[in-house]
Amino acid sequence: MIDVAGLRVVLPPAVVAVDGIDLTIGAGEFVVILGRSGAGKTTFLRALNRLVEPTAGTVHVDGRAITGADAATLRTLRRQIGMVFQQFNLVRRVSVLDNVLAGRLGWARSLPTLLGRFGAEDRRIAHECLAQVGLADFAARRADTLSGGEQQRVAIARALAQAPSVILADEPTASLDPALTGSIMDLLKTINVRRGLTLVVSQHQLETALAYATRVVGFRRGRVVFDGAPSALTPAVAATIYGEHR
Amino acid sequence: MRRAAVFIAVLVLAWTAWDTGADPVRLGRGIPWIADFLRRMLPPDLRVLPAALLGALKTGEIALLGTAVAAVLALPLGFVSARNVAAPAIFHPARLALNFFRSVDTLVYALVFVAAVGLGPFPGVLAVVAYTTTSLAKLYSEAIEGIDRGPVDAITATGATRLQVLRFGVLPQVLPLFLSYVLYRLETNIRAATVLGFVGAGGIGFYLQTYLRMIDYPAASTVLLVTVVMVMVVDAISSRLRARLV
Repeated sequence: MIDVAGLRVVLPPAVVAVDGIDLTIGAGEFVVILGRSGAGKTTFLRALNRLVEPTAGTVHVDGRAITGADAATLRTLRRQIGMVFQQFNLVRRVSVLDNVLAGRLGWARSLPTLLGRFGAEDRRIAHECLAQVGLADFAARRADTLSGGEQQRVAIARALAQAPSVILADEPTASLDPALTGSIMDLLKTINVRRGLTLVVSQHQLETALAYATRVVGFRRGRVVFDGAPSALTPAVAATIYGEHR
Repeated sequence: MRRAAVFIAVLVLAWTAWDTGADPVRLGRGIPWIADFLRRMLPPDLRVLPAALLGALKTGEIALLGTAVAAVLALPLGFVSARNVAAPAIFHPARLALNFFRSVDTLVYALVFVAAVGLGPFPGVLAVVAYTTTSLAKLYSEAIEGIDRGPVDAITATGATRLQVLRFGVLPQVLPLFLSYVLYRLETNIRAATVLGFVGAGGIGFYLQTYLRMIDYPAASTVLLVTVVMVMVVDAISSRLRARLV
């Protein structure tokens, strides 16, 4: 499904954020990338769909190369990779429905969308995705009138509207009330189980990772220091991932 | 260091006062003349009110049409001169061109266009367009540079094209600001357009200059009053609209 080989990302001026990662993720897995902040989780996820340009290494999705792809190919590959962000990244001033419709941009014909027009099928999909995250009645509301948890649900609906085969979620619960963490993670898990989507979720919280992951990949200083089932994640391993407190 | 700076500033100001012949005594001797001038302006000659109102209408038209055309022309210019959107090869020359054309005042443009297309309101409209396009493009580009990067990333991640990213990730964030800048420019253009008539570019300034030349001060004061009222009314309406936008 996702094949990462020798991935290295150096951010300007000269910060090695991802330092040689090899990782193969199979279809239908729920992978949690676990690590402290600054361990390279965000950069890793953003390099997968080239929101950040990798310095070296390759990324393949379903056997097709993302790294080195030309602009048009990259767009069609991005279509099948939904992304959810820590700060939700909704367009605040427009309606919830318009935000979800943005997920259709890669599929819709370009010219009508520039005038703000989407086809009936795109609108149907957007409404359906909103219903799936439990916000069917929120379509007409302005995005910035929603609570944080609701906004993240809209962002998940936007990702679902892409009809993706994988969703990358970068610390999806880190800006939320701890009480909401469970509901967002439950939603992602439901999507994983019911739709068979592959999920790659970064987390800094050990408990959350253990509760939802089918596989945990521990990051430390841009490198993989653990890769295995949640049951194999012993306190000693956790100490390696999180490092010594000084 | 600080003392030296103050000393130099005082020196420069003293020199400019001497070089411009600034002289409080001379101003004092002029006050009776100003009083006399004001006395001769009163009461305003209301027989010229219809002419003044017609001139005011023309001035309003010049400002409105000029600002509207400039608001549209400035859109592409604003995007190509925004650092975070345009490639450096485009951004630098675009910024340079904007700063060059922006340094010329509307009145100077009016002189050029009167020479080019003859007397009347039309060269006035062209002058407003010329100045306002570049000044709005600068304001637009600064608004674009201040946007939240998050939604842009999110729209990019859906597989959208560059134009779609601008339309859905950038435009909704900056549109209210753009409208607010356009209204602000309309206010200042009404003010600027009142003197365009001085150089033959139509509007109420033409009447003011004519009556002053004819030494018909009561008529000139009517024109001035109409100008003041028009500017105040437009300012009030526009600032109310702008308050609603942000």
